[in-house]
Amino acid sequence: MALEPLRTQDEKPPRPAAPGKKWIRVTKAVNGIDTEVWEEVSDDTGGPQWGPREQMRLVSRAVPRVDGPDKVTGRAMYSSDMRLPGMVFARVLRSRVPCGTVQLELEAAKAIPGVLAVIALNNGNVDWLGRPIAAVAATTPEIAEDGLRAIVAQYEEQPFAVTPEQAAAENAPKVGSRGNVRTLSKNTDSSEVDDALAKAAKRVQGTWKIPVQHHACLESHGVVVDYRGGDEATVYASTQGTFTIPGDAAGALGLKPNQVTAVVEHMGGGFGSKFQLGIEGDAACRLAKLLARPVHLMLDRATEFHAAGNRSGGEHTLEAGLDEKGQIVAIKGRVTRLGGVGQGSGHPIPYIYGRDAKVFVEDRCIHTHTDSSRAMRGPGHPQASFSMEGLMDECAYASGLDLLEIRRINLPDSRRELYMRQLERCAALIGWDKHAFKNAPDLSKSELKVGIGFAIARWGGGGNGQCKVEVRVAQDGSVEVLSGTQDLGTGTRTYCASIVAEELGLELNQVRPRIGRSTFGSANASGGSTTAPSLSPSVKHAAHNARLALFEKVAPLLGVKPDELEVGLGEIHVAAKPSQKVAWKDACATLGPAGLSAQGEWQAHLASSDVGGAQAAKVQVDTRTGEIKVLEMVAVQNCGLLLNRMSVKSQLQGGMVQALSYGLFEERVIDPDLGLFLNANFEDYKIAGVREIPRMTVEFEDDPRGVIGMAEAAVIPGHSAIANAIRNACGVRIFDMPLTADKVLVGLEALRKKG
Amino acid sequence: MKNFTYVMPTSLEQVVELLPGPRDLKTRDRVKVLAGGQDLLGELKEHLVEPEQVVNLKGVPGLADLRPQASGWQIGALVTLAALEENTSLRASHTMIAEAAGSVGSTQIRNQGTVGGNLCQRPRCWYYRHEQAVCIKKGGAECFAYGGLNKYNAILGGGPSYIVHPSDLAPALVAAGATALIRGKKGERTVELERFFTLPSEGAVTRENVLAPDEVLVRVDVPAMAGWKSTYVKFRERSSYDFALAAVAAALKLDGGKVTEARLVLGGVAPVPWRCEKAEKALVGRKLDAETCRVVGELALEGAEPLAHNAYKLPLAKGLIAKALTKLASA
Repeated sequence: MALEPLRTQDEKPPRPAAPGKKWIRVTKAVNGIDTEVWEEVSDDTGGPQWGPREQMRLVSRAVPRVDGPDKVTGRAMYSSDMRLPGMVFARVLRSRVPCGTVQLELEAAKAIPGVLAVIALNNGNVDWLGRPIAAVAATTPEIAEDGLRAIVAQYEEQPFAVTPEQAAAENAPKVGSRGNVRTLSKNTDSSEVDDALAKAAKRVQGTWKIPVQHHACLESHGVVVDYRGGDEATVYASTQGTFTIPGDAAGALGLKPNQVTAVVEHMGGGFGSKFQLGIEGDAACRLAKLLARPVHLMLDRATEFHAAGNRSGGEHTLEAGLDEKGQIVAIKGRVTRLGGVGQGSGHPIPYIYGRDAKVFVEDRCIHTHTDSSRAMRGPGHPQASFSMEGLMDECAYASGLDLLEIRRINLPDSRRELYMRQLERCAALIGWDKHAFKNAPDLSKSELKVGIGFAIARWGGGGNGQCKVEVRVAQDGSVEVLSGTQDLGTGTRTYCASIVAEELGLELNQVRPRIGRSTFGSANASGGSTTAPSLSPSVKHAAHNARLALFEKVAPLLGVKPDELEVGLGEIHVAAKPSQKVAWKDACATLGPAGLSAQGEWQAHLASSDVGGAQAAKVQVDTRTGEIKVLEMVAVQNCGLLLNRMSVKSQLQGGMVQALSYGLFEERVIDPDLGLFLNANFEDYKIAGVREIPRMTVEFEDDPRGVIGMAEAAVIPGHSAIANAIRNACGVRIFDMPLTADKVLVGLEALRKKG
Repeated sequence: MKNFTYVMPTSLEQVVELLPGPRDLKTRDRVKVLAGGQDLLGELKEHLVEPEQVVNLKGVPGLADLRPQASGWQIGALVTLAALEENTSLRASHTMIAEAAGSVGSTQIRNQGTVGGNLCQRPRCWYYRHEQAVCIKKGGAECFAYGGLNKYNAILGGGPSYIVHPSDLAPALVAAGATALIRGKKGERTVELERFFTLPSEGAVTRENVLAPDEVLVRVDVPAMAGWKSTYVKFRERSSYDFALAAVAAALKLDGGKVTEARLVLGGVAPVPWRCEKAEKALVGRKLDAETCRVVGELALEGAEPLAHNAYKLPLAKGLIAKALTKLASA
């Protein structure tokens, strides 16, 4: 398979597809960063088919998730729930300083009764705040904690840069060796765009600031390593990639990868932050190796905030030049990614918009002495959406155009129909026709004001060929579907079972999904919304092969050829004469004691890629207090075949909630002088609670394509729509998230002064 | 948290016996009293205090009594916030107290948290709460919030510490003219609740109230408020659960649309519940119209000195005062 990294503006594949091949857009983790790439895949459309949707019983219907009862009753075993004989608890010590060296004295910690092992985790150089530097294993978590506090860490602190201003200053302390400020884009010639801007009828500009967001997984990062000496180990990991674990763990345990089994029964959230074993997992393996005992190591919440990744922040300075009709003729921008010691995901400006416009974007990153950003749900897109959707509304107001009209004018031809259809549906759902402020914000003096904002999203969401699935049918008629894949809470187990049940004419509860184990068939890591489009075609293929194999066995019983058979509900019958049938149990009884095993691989034609969605938000602003209340959010999304309407709806709602929280609350706060992370807890790092959640309406478009991942598209537009709705409601454009009352009040004051 | 011994005495005599002596200022944190634990547990886990002994008050009979009297209400220190919130006759006579109790934290916190604990809780300032930041509240030399990230800090009464008092109940109880009953080794004493809280410039900067090391808050007495209408209006950044950015406890007596008596106390803006006496006086004799709201708002915030990141608290507090007065005008 050919892989071509996708540049920001790559609308088309790099070259025409070879005969029998086609190009799809997929997301892959490249050096730990989600990157969209074009992938050339087989265009073979033979083999299994999803079939007509109106005939489906389970797939494309709303099915409660099969592991729901386990999760809500606490029966579900998450990695952090694992308890093993002789297990010890470990904790990691993090660096108190952002930059410097540290010398550790471990003896006092080792002397504490119950402390079993203390290890240093790096060579004493610290280059980001909170970097794990030591780990302690003890008989209880409390003693492990005491052990951490007994470690004597002597720091030689060096000047640090924890803010972009500090890092970009003259004579700033160095972050790494690549330079604190790095320009990543190659094009330095903006003359064409400058000319176009100079000739533009109107110019609109602004600088948008985007804080660092945290994944805030409820289950923190960590593993339980079951190693008791010998040449085998099992790692219970909270991970997005079952198969990323054995190789990493084997190195730390001194074993071969095939001697390590990874188990991911249930995991409590990843959002892009859990792709490798990590520093914490590595420490757990080293301690297990040292002690030859099972080790439980999950990060505490403060360490989770300091050292488990984040969504890169950013600063976007954008200027658009418009013609008299409101078409953007030029966009000039400087995009700064703030990924700590990491580079940060690309923020793809100008996000979707800018049809025919001349575009010049300087893309750079500024490094600080803070934890590297990691992929986070829709990497780069929510950031790009925030500034670009804001710019679009400012362009509308500058031109006196309706907020939908400015989008119609500036969407590329290839996407205009899709997004305008979705935007207009959102408008209808949220009451846009009755709204009085379509082309200018409400600047009246009333106390309670209501505004509406819009935003759109796109995502690849294609699959790839990494999944191998097995379907087993036993002599007693029981059915299992096996894949090593992990379920991030997205409903993977449920569609594994429903696809097989649908194919074999069974009820959902007759198929047992078994996943999350590296001894089962390989599967891709869950990144870039690629799990469903990669796994579901493989499941379908395996189920299809199981059905054909069973037909081979059953055909002689009915005196027909295998291809004359079809499944009915709980039976196999002759297609032309359904009364000529064998019940499922009787059919399976023909299998020997070994039963039947069928394999499945990815079928490109059962998946597709490229999703689009639009969202709108209705917001009330209280001008006396600055209170922002989101009254309503609506979403319209396309995403190919819906594997489970109920879980897709949940995905979309979850994305809207996460975006609302990003917009209204979330922000990492580090004191620039002290170098202290001030809100590494769930009190001060605020996340939306139940009272913040508005009425949410979700609609899916009828989309004839195959399965596409849409989880990331869901999280991209919400905060941008809210920011635009605030501006529409009261005239205040908040350029920096989070969108809080204090900024509304300051903005209203500035508007009053301006008159 | 550090290990400690745990005791549950059954009388107040035993409680105060376990506490340090009245002058043991430096060692006072060796013993901590435990009520609902909603603040203390956080302090223990973050190692902000490392007591040798924790004294649970729950074994002392009578501390959780909530008693209506002809003269008002007696509210035991261990009465839960939920009990205050749910008491319908208290809500009728002292609406602002029930509303304040109901605005604290989350349902779980209100079920567990107590009146005494709420009044005696330590600041939420993120510098104070960060173990590594040895600020003036913790015996250090400076208030890091003063020149630092002070969005949530004081605009009134600050210096040398700029915390805001985190209690929601305190402004409402001060507005109600409550008194605090305090028990120490030498016996009981009574303090007006308004005098219970101390500004950092007046009392010990590391404390927020007048309690001596040997003392414990036992009860709050609230006078009857016949003929008064009151309300507590709190602004939270996150309404699901959050401390106040600013809050107003307002109580009024009205006669024919004109104010005859007034109490106005702000929360979330100063190191103590901030009584606005000038504004109270100005309210008397006035109708509750927009102009009154404006004048009262100006007077209430008189002398405010915002820091770099909290000037918004001025319009916010004024807006909340206007909301509270408007609400009372139509109540």
